[in-house]
Amino acid sequence: MEFSPKPKAALLIVGHGSTENPDSSTPYFDHAKEIRRRKVFGEVHCCFWKEEPSMREAFYMIDAEEVYVVPDFISEGYFTQEVIPRELSLTGPTTEVHGKTIHYCDPVGIHPSMTSLILQRTDEVAPGVPQEESTLFIVGHGTGLNKNSTKAVKDQVDHIKTLPNCRFADVIDTYMEEPPFIADWGKLAKTPNAIVVPFFIADGLHSYQDIPMMLGFEKEEGLAASQKEVFRRNPYHLQDKTLYYSAAIGMEPMMADVILDQISTFDAQNDAH
Amino acid sequence: MTLTKVLSNALDSGINQIGQLRILRGPLRLHHIDDVNLDSLEVHTDPDDAREISLYTSDGKYRFTKGELSLKTGWIFILDSVEDLRRAIDLFYPASLGLWNASQNNEIRVQNLRDKLNRQTGMYRHARNVSDEGIQKLVKCLCGPSNKCVKKILWEIDETTPLEDSEASRFDGIVGDIEMTTAIPMVCQEACNFFVAQSRKKAKKEFEAREQ
Repeated sequence: MEFSPKPKAALLIVGHGSTENPDSSTPYFDHAKEIRRRKVFGEVHCCFWKEEPSMREAFYMIDAEEVYVVPDFISEGYFTQEVIPRELSLTGPTTEVHGKTIHYCDPVGIHPSMTSLILQRTDEVAPGVPQEESTLFIVGHGTGLNKNSTKAVKDQVDHIKTLPNCRFADVIDTYMEEPPFIADWGKLAKTPNAIVVPFFIADGLHSYQDIPMMLGFEKEEGLAASQKEVFRRNPYHLQDKTLYYSAAIGMEPMMADVILDQISTFDAQNDAH
Repeated sequence: MTLTKVLSNALDSGINQIGQLRILRGPLRLHHIDDVNLDSLEVHTDPDDAREISLYTSDGKYRFTKGELSLKTGWIFILDSVEDLRRAIDLFYPASLGLWNASQNNEIRVQNLRDKLNRQTGMYRHARNVSDEGIQKLVKCLCGPSNKCVKKILWEIDETTPLEDSEASRFDGIVGDIEMTTAIPMVCQEACNFFVAQSRKKAKKEFEAREQ
């Protein structure tokens, strides 16, 4: 998707952040750095719910009068629908707030261009592995509390299946905390190969530790999470199958493109420009 | 006026410090105020390196509260422009320049603590149950330079309940005994997430004490 530069506007990337794990906010800064490098916005900033700057503080960092806010979140839900609008005083797609015009885009995870990112990731993690003999698992968190948390994963699976060049024997949405469980991957996969892509923005305990334990190649808590090299030891041979495990999808440098695509989509839908 | 211009004007007026950072000109440099022998420091030229440097204390603890008086020493930035200096400062002390500028211009929208606590959800929603007395104690044992925070507190408990006088509530946001006109004070317009987390713990203790 072609992006028209906005040298007079600012981009504000919103992430969750963590009070315990500094790795959790790294991808947001990486995405900001990549977009800054492309010189398509006058300013690019990050802000967080659990780290500094907070969303309210970030407002003071911005010179531009026009600001695009992009939630660097994987799905729609409580944070994108309640917390971010409340913290930034947003009342709709475009809101005038303290003298600035704020455009509020959809979260990156629900953009259709995430699909090509997933497929690129599968090629990188399992190069030369025939898709016809492989099952692709996309793993979300899943929670009975919020249907939206599984919708983004299901939408990606449905989209990949309909692609004319999709040759995977099967594409299955799985979750950590609700069925179909990723822990059952051995039963769900009818093929000799399984490729697993965690549908999260950042690598953290879920992708370093929890999902590897559910897949069966990490037995217990051992090394500090960031010291593990779970993504570099592919392939794993388990349950008479060959398993390829990817880092969280948000760690992909091309997430910068998805952020820009989400802004282009916003403009197209709202006639902002 | 852009914040880069505001910073440039501040440097022209003689300002050379913010938090634990020293700013030197000719060429433009940034280093820890405790580092004296500049030739021995690790040189950085990319302002984005500031995030990595600010992540951990010298003994490896995660500094998620950026205003903590625990910035490690041993590095120096040699920077091309005030724009790059602004970015490095914003990574060491997020939004500090903008908040200072807004407070100078009386444009800051301070978030009193009760408003902040009442917005918390999930496990942190219980933080709102902390008493005013509990909050006053927390300020004295969490905020200010004795407790390793470099920020000047602007918030109150609520519109009618100011913070009690203490070293923490009096602190001016400037590290060390220096001329106030040479430093940008660090301001705290809303309580940090560490304070919120401690408020939750305090509320829990208060609840348990009442139950006994």
